Amino acid sequence: MNLNYEKSSIELPDAWRAKSPILLSAGLVCLFIGMGCAFLGSANGEDKSQGFRYLTHSYLANFTFVFSFTIAALFFILVQFLTRAGWSTSIRRLAEILMMMIPYLALLFLPILIPLYWGSSSLYEWNAKDITNSVVASKATFYLSKEFFTLRSVVYFAFWILAATWFFRLSRAQDESGDTELSLVRQKWSGPLIMVFSLVTSFAAFDWLMSIDADWYSTIFGVYLFSGSMMGFFAMMIIISMLLQKAGKVQKLVTVEHFHDMGKFLFGFVMFWSYIAFSQLVLIWYANIPEETIWYQVRLDNGWAVFSYSLIPIHFAIPFLFLMSRHVRRNRIALTVGASWVLFAHWYDMTFLVMPNAGPLEVMPLFGHFLGGVGMLCIFGAMFIQRASGVPLVAMRDPRLPEAMSYTNPIL
Amino acid sequence: MSEHKPRKSPEKKMPKAFGWMAEYQDENNLLVAARKVRDAGYTKTDAFTPFPVHGIDEALGIKPTVLPFIVLSAGLTGLATALLMQWWMNGVDYKYIISGKPFGITPASIPVAFELTVLFSAFTAFLGMIALNNLPKFSNPVFTNPRFDRATNDRFFLYVEAKDKYYNRESVKELLSGTHPDSLDEVIEDTTPSELPRPIILAALLLVVAGLIPAMIILNMRAGFSTSPRFHVFFDMDFQPKKKAQQPTTIFADSRIMRPQVKGTIGRGQLDEQEPFYLGYDPAKMTAIDNKNLSVFVSTQAAKLPDTSAQTPADGSPQTAPMTTPPAMAPGTPALNLPWTEKLPIDANEETMALGKLKFETYCAACHGYAGFGDGLVHKRADSLAQGYWLRPTSMHIDRVRNQPVGQIFHTITKGQGKMASYAASLNPKERWAVVLYVKALQKSRNADIDDVPVDLRSKLDEVKK
Repeated sequence: MNLNYEKSSIELPDAWRAKSPILLSAGLVCLFIGMGCAFLGSANGEDKSQGFRYLTHSYLANFTFVFSFTIAALFFILVQFLTRAGWSTSIRRLAEILMMMIPYLALLFLPILIPLYWGSSSLYEWNAKDITNSVVASKATFYLSKEFFTLRSVVYFAFWILAATWFFRLSRAQDESGDTELSLVRQKWSGPLIMVFSLVTSFAAFDWLMSIDADWYSTIFGVYLFSGSMMGFFAMMIIISMLLQKAGKVQKLVTVEHFHDMGKFLFGFVMFWSYIAFSQLVLIWYANIPEETIWYQVRLDNGWAVFSYSLIPIHFAIPFLFLMSRHVRRNRIALTVGASWVLFAHWYDMTFLVMPNAGPLEVMPLFGHFLGGVGMLCIFGAMFIQRASGVPLVAMRDPRLPEAMSYTNPIL
Repeated sequence: MSEHKPRKSPEKKMPKAFGWMAEYQDENNLLVAARKVRDAGYTKTDAFTPFPVHGIDEALGIKPTVLPFIVLSAGLTGLATALLMQWWMNGVDYKYIISGKPFGITPASIPVAFELTVLFSAFTAFLGMIALNNLPKFSNPVFTNPRFDRATNDRFFLYVEAKDKYYNRESVKELLSGTHPDSLDEVIEDTTPSELPRPIILAALLLVVAGLIPAMIILNMRAGFSTSPRFHVFFDMDFQPKKKAQQPTTIFADSRIMRPQVKGTIGRGQLDEQEPFYLGYDPAKMTAIDNKNLSVFVSTQAAKLPDTSAQTPADGSPQTAPMTTPPAMAPGTPALNLPWTEKLPIDANEETMALGKLKFETYCAACHGYAGFGDGLVHKRADSLAQGYWLRPTSMHIDRVRNQPVGQIFHTITKGQGKMASYAASLNPKERWAVVLYVKALQKSRNADIDDVPVDLRSKLDEVKK
């Protein structure tokens, strides 16, 4: 297999680097305007605490939206080594760059953490001085305390960052040496790490997202978030690869076969998310216990009903039917359209998870929330450019790269 | 060599040719050759390899199969079948209340719909694959050549069939020779006899006949009669060396298999049976009770049933349940003169009242109603069904119940009465007393006097009036 390549073909386009500050400032502007809309747009203008609830919830939803790509990237990397996958070698570096953005996103987590120390309870009601409307929060005062919450978040981030950094270092070292041993070491540790990863990520989902309603619990919630995240991650990978190829990079290295495979994963995780989301729904629906159904009640009341029911076509039916055909998955334009849709669906899902807890559906705050999501995506893009600068976009000396190059999907 | 009788011509002896088979040492040679054959325009081709070779489909020019579309339609059929079936069964044909869920299509229908979609798709994919591959095929002329056995081991074969519309024996041979095969053979007809050997046919017939024997035995038994005793497959399960309650025995002198309590021992919970708190009456004072009344208390807690024939019209059609007088306490029943606890053994405060309310509304209100009038949801439902044999739950506000001492109400909750079951398993004694307190409060609330209201709160009543 001929792996001669132009060094410039696996570097970030120069034009992109120049755009990074523009993207960052545009993102920040969008985010602030969006949060302003969420804060001030509430129809109940008298009550500023309601506006603040919209603001904090919107930030959490948008943060989770972009953050989920990075932890899903870490999971993807771990799985590739766990299964000794060869097909993905040429796109693996992109995922590695995504997972190396976790430290940046830890900074974006601070606006969620800091208000707890002002005593703000608009996002996490368990932080209130006297908890009146939550049985669990009034009992679990140690677990749901701001100190322990902070400690747990630090532990989660520490694990993700350490695992990601270590994998990335070895990958970069292999760029220089081409040492096969470096792959074997990662292969060896991917198993234990993936077990810790699933626990850490589940608990992060419980802490950050599920605890906004402390009385409600769903043991599948971590898997729910994971399934949506993986789906969003593959959509993100497809779009990034597409944009890079459009800028004339990695054209020979990321082939239609890789797009096809990412499309298959995208399709698979659309289905998996639906499966998990439905599993959660049907048990709660059938048992019909008030403490469990309240979560859906909140999402079907106060004007959220249409929004919530739309999740079924947006997040399941449309992408499922659209991505089902092999021809769509092998057509770059069609696949990118599908991936963009799925990206939107993922944002929609995050909104569904968080925003109904903030209050009734109101147009201005929801618009602000959307604008905030766009802003967050721009910031994410700027961060990606920052992180990817000076890093080859393909692990050219990985011993499995030839396998990735010669890989083809069988015709059905 | 008469053209009129080609079947009898000596050429019939010549084995029929099916095409050319080229053999290669590795998959790259095979791929190159396959592309060459494809580019020459041949479509009736096939490759045989010991492992899946990436790109062979494209090299052979194999068109995508229609199987996915067949599977898709089968999956949609399965989905529609499942939804229609459940809608018809549960929504139209046999409406049956399950946990109060709605009829027809519900979220609970989705797993079944999913299963049937997958089932139909999987079967269609499997059987469709079989059918599209023209399987099962018990013999293929390619097996005639012993070299071909290595297709499952270490050799790669390319086969151009004679059925191809551009097939020409010489030109195909030339084309394949140009791809430098290890060997190039013509695939010829298998001339070995194709009939099954006689012993195999015989054995198969025997098997079929033997397989009919059990069916014949069963049919015979279904149609005939037998005087011999039943055959016990698991004898020790049908006849176990054990005794059931109330059965006699020869082991003990008194012939009872259920043993009386050993003297000087205390059973679990027996100590509680000495306390009015757990009973609702004082057992110490029971000895002073008239024996006649006591037997009433022990046996049914009630006197004889009222004459039901008086209530049933002559035509025997069921009549609506009596409103206030339950049969257990028809007029004329001697009042139970038992040493009931008269004073509530728990504190009557806000906390116990709240507990009593909670438990009453959880366990009692379903029948007795939230206000205790005997008009709970169960009653309303049963009444609307108008089945005739439903007895209205007792109202708490009739004189008989209102005059009952707290101990008697407690006893009713503990042991049950009439159709009402015991609630001792659901409510612990303290909760039962709390329910008694709440019932007493309910009764009081319907018969309250202005003197019952504290003086300083009376002004509030006027506010409520306004």
